[in-house]
Amino acid sequence: MKVKPVNHAKAAEAFIEDTAHMDFHDERLWDLRQKRDQQMHILPEWQELRTRASAIKEHTLANLPEYLEQFEANAKKNGIHVHWAADGAEHNRIVGEILEKHGAKSLIKSKSMVTEECCMREYLEPRGVVVTETDLGERIQQLDNQMPSHIVVPAVHKLIPDVAKIFAEHYHTDPNDSSAQSLAWQQRLAARPVILSADAGMTGGNFVVAETGSFVVCTNEGNADLSATVPGLHIATIGIERLVPRMADMGVFIRLLSRSALGSPITQYTTHFRGPQKGSEMHVVLVDNGRSHRLGMEDFWTSLKCIRCGACMNTCPVYRRSGGLSYGAVYSGPIGAIIDPTFNERKYSTLPFASTMNGSCTNVCPVKINIHEQLYKWRRVLAEHHELPFVKREVMHMAGKLMGQPTLYRAAINSTEVALSTMPRFVLYNWLNPWGKHRELPHPVKQTFHSWYKQNRLKNKKKEGESA
Amino acid sequence: MSTSRDAILTRLRDNRPDPKAHPLPPVARLGDMDNGQARFENSLQILGGQVLERQEGDTLATAIARRFPDSKVICSAVPDFAGTIRIEELGTPQQAASVDVLVVRSPFGIAEMGSIYLSEVQLHDLNSAAHLTQHIVVILSAKNLTANMHTAYMDRPEFHTANYGVLMSGPSATADIQGVLIRGAQGVRTLSVWWED
Repeated sequence: MKVKPVNHAKAAEAFIEDTAHMDFHDERLWDLRQKRDQQMHILPEWQELRTRASAIKEHTLANLPEYLEQFEANAKKNGIHVHWAADGAEHNRIVGEILEKHGAKSLIKSKSMVTEECCMREYLEPRGVVVTETDLGERIQQLDNQMPSHIVVPAVHKLIPDVAKIFAEHYHTDPNDSSAQSLAWQQRLAARPVILSADAGMTGGNFVVAETGSFVVCTNEGNADLSATVPGLHIATIGIERLVPRMADMGVFIRLLSRSALGSPITQYTTHFRGPQKGSEMHVVLVDNGRSHRLGMEDFWTSLKCIRCGACMNTCPVYRRSGGLSYGAVYSGPIGAIIDPTFNERKYSTLPFASTMNGSCTNVCPVKINIHEQLYKWRRVLAEHHELPFVKREVMHMAGKLMGQPTLYRAAINSTEVALSTMPRFVLYNWLNPWGKHRELPHPVKQTFHSWYKQNRLKNKKKEGESA
Repeated sequence: MSTSRDAILTRLRDNRPDPKAHPLPPVARLGDMDNGQARFENSLQILGGQVLERQEGDTLATAIARRFPDSKVICSAVPDFAGTIRIEELGTPQQAASVDVLVVRSPFGIAEMGSIYLSEVQLHDLNSAAHLTQHIVVILSAKNLTANMHTAYMDRPEFHTANYGVLMSGPSATADIQGVLIRGAQGVRTLSVWWED
């Protein structure tokens, strides 16, 4: 059975129609980008931190089996139960079995992209486990039955009235509440009793330290620490690429993470879990789910360096104006566009095209992933595998021919200039030109650079040559 | 015991890039090495924390009474301050949830971030108490400030010994609703530092 590719352009179109939401989304994320820049300028060693972060991650990935074994041995010594999951289904089965063994019927969890990847809630809930997201943004998305639209700020595409409506429906609060403060307070009030009576808690893990057998969780709301410390059972679900060799390496990553993500120097909570609390049980589930396969992709393995800060999303003009949900995938934005096709090449074949190729994502990436180059390489791979829609494929084909032949190209450019100034709108703006939606085509120039150069510089050169 | 474990490790060995091409860089000790109280206080304020005001003749008790006049349950996790209840008497997270102010001593702070560190040692194995209390007052000595994240991870032994170690940088916070920054999300609503020297 063939899956249909995500229609990113169409979903983005719907997002763009709603001006109030799109404008806020665009401005809010650009604000995060600017706050990131301010933090960057404070630190003269910023570029050195990026270089080191990248080198540490590349080294770790090249030695991943050894570091995973080292982590496992140390974690076990510390009293942590370590599990290995080849894919999402195995992960869910492992978590389900741990919960069953403890007779756990309610699970409180903090935000974890890996559990989204594995569709864990959908697996556990029919088996009688009530799963409650405790991160505010993630909870809003859970109640609204939507995926997170951003990896750091999951409900960033929503405005206050949207949240007020959702809370009114589920928490029986005032549907016209117009205060973010009071809505956040409602979440605190609603979450506390659930947290205090939960049978089990779950977190993700931002970093895993091989040397000490510990993992590090970076959050702001305090919900992850509550989820991990209140119930007597803590399960952490972590992707196998999250390792760093030494505790001392954490300095580099913690200094980069929140500055890149939100433009704050550090998250309010940076928590180091090295073993179970007194009288409690701790489990770590190491999840592969395609990562070991991706490590073998010559052009794309460095995407595994990602520390999930979301800086590439905040800076991306396409992401900011199309919204995370339009990507139809767990991971959206530029980083999503280069890792989603490794999960399902056909389904996510459209995503690498959701980019202007401006390279801004690469420039802000704290671990120096060459995101825009990988976007370009994915386009080539997908084109070779014939995953492109007809119009895009044909246009690319023609463009390739045209650009490969200078004379043909120049003739075409000249006629385009004529066309742009003389053709009626309906010829220029139609279904063959999706680019022209919401955009005006460029004004035709009076003269191309090439013909100006021929007229002026070449003539001058000739003159110079004659006089010399 | 786990076949997936072996399959994953084998696949990683088959697929990985050449380890020789990616050496591990030496540990970095970078950045501003100022470990002064002024830098710490400035960072603390950026992250929404505050310094508990010390007026003439103040003790910790009088300063807390002035700052939190409505608080009923003041829990102490330190030997040199009484409070209304001791952390050892709480026993469970459910009981810890009734605490208004928790007073605890941090072994070190980080000047770069205004962070304070707590582990099960300071929290008497009731780690949830640090997050269930409404407010937290942290006793800290300026002598125990480290300059930045590099020096903290390289010099502090706690990261290698504690089972649970949290760096708290100001109170809990969220900006998940329309980007409005709210200090006091689901964990502590305020975090105050009391200088003990």
